[in-house]
Amino acid sequence: MKIRRVAVTGLGLIAPLGVGCENVWPAILAGRSGISRINDFDTSRLKTTIAGVCRDFCPERFFDEREISRLDRVSQLAMAATDMAIKDSGLCNGQLDSYDAGVILGTGFGGQRSIEDFCLAFLSNGQGRRSAIAIPKSMYNASSSNVAIRYKTRGPNITVTTACSSGANAIGQAAQLIRYGHAERMIAGGADAPITPVVMDAWKEMRVLSTKNECPERACKPFSANRDGFVLAEGAGIVVLESVDSALERGAHIYAEILGYGSTADASHITFPDPEGEAFAISRALKDAGIAPDEIGYINAHGTATKLNDASETDAIKRVFGDRAYQIPVSSTKSMLGHSMGAAGGIEIVVSLLAIDHGRIPPTINYEEPDAQCDLDYVADGARPFPEGNGPRTAMSNSFGFGGNNAVVVMRQLAP
Amino acid sequence: MTRQAPESIEDIVKGIVAAELRTDRGKLQPQTHLMKDLGADSLDALNIAIRLEEAFKIKIPDEAIPNFLTVGDIVKGVEKHQASASMV
Repeated sequence: MKIRRVAVTGLGLIAPLGVGCENVWPAILAGRSGISRINDFDTSRLKTTIAGVCRDFCPERFFDEREISRLDRVSQLAMAATDMAIKDSGLCNGQLDSYDAGVILGTGFGGQRSIEDFCLAFLSNGQGRRSAIAIPKSMYNASSSNVAIRYKTRGPNITVTTACSSGANAIGQAAQLIRYGHAERMIAGGADAPITPVVMDAWKEMRVLSTKNECPERACKPFSANRDGFVLAEGAGIVVLESVDSALERGAHIYAEILGYGSTADASHITFPDPEGEAFAISRALKDAGIAPDEIGYINAHGTATKLNDASETDAIKRVFGDRAYQIPVSSTKSMLGHSMGAAGGIEIVVSLLAIDHGRIPPTINYEEPDAQCDLDYVADGARPFPEGNGPRTAMSNSFGFGGNNAVVVMRQLAP
Repeated sequence: MTRQAPESIEDIVKGIVAAELRTDRGKLQPQTHLMKDLGADSLDALNIAIRLEEAFKIKIPDEAIPNFLTVGDIVKGVEKHQASASMV
């Protein structure tokens, strides 16, 4: 069996900083924050009243009224970002209307808003609105299935849910299908729309959300000693994958290759991270990529700004990279975009690909106080050039989810 | 002082169909076919049945729904199920 190299030829991005890579990427480089006060539901009983809301997303731009009524917000985000990624890739309908084209999407909360609406309709004894579309709208595979319906992709159609690593695992799995010849083109990534009153309240009980509501843009402080938790967000990050040969043959723009993928389970605790499981995911990704740790030029961290993750992730990076860990720029784009759960891995892989393509590394913002447990170079002084002189630009994206679900993806600029 | 005439069954049905299918009620005639003319599918038919049950305080049995092909069919269906309900 021939093992093929996997190219990324299209990107789609919807984040709290905007809609489309062309809007989000410059804002990320400028170190802007997309975190703001929640204003579409009552937050008076919550301790955290801020989130990363995609305020620039207008469903009407992508869907008609009837489609909107059948799609949960998560599916709207997923499909709109997919639309942008496909247009970016230059693939035409005929190349997607095929059993050789598939979809793997990741989500942590699925059709959460719709689930809450339908629960309310049921529990309020007929006061709420009954609907025959409740199940098709809220089922976890709604996004990937609706993508297939819209673009007629008849190949593998799978939804991955591994908490905060869903999007990364989706992309890793999709890359495997291309690599081993089970598909010719894959749409992959993550989407989540978890900002609801019920979800915010549930997170409140875990005491892991930042409560720095008075200054939303500065609330998320990954790796800083005064960090106090993550900021919940929504969004979608989608890539189009195909073999390198196929991309070269049709003259497509190649952002980078998906070189390696490591996926492990901590097998430790349902919420506490374990640096050993995380380190193994990193090592597995490097081994799968066939490269040495020395060859990594940039790490896009999971970097949630919780006390536990940031310390555990720093430890994991040191276990794999040793002293060289101190020379690799490590930034957390969650400092600007918040934590979009199942979308995060997809969004951050898109950001890492943009970093490779543009030769610029995004910053970590809101880094204020050094922490002895987090002593790496977190790019706290603003965006900077991608380190050169170490071969083709190579980046790594970490995603470490609840349940100890770890996914790491290694990406490399295509060597000429 | 004029009393407003109560909405007819046909008016209410047209309002529900127009709202569910996101179309203009002015386009709806008794012979308008929901699937062929308005692109409705089976899920729309189910949702329309829910709204009819709520609006007319009737119960529509499963086997009646496939017969709701045109606006006129729905009006006749509502009249029939209203009559059955009042016979109890």
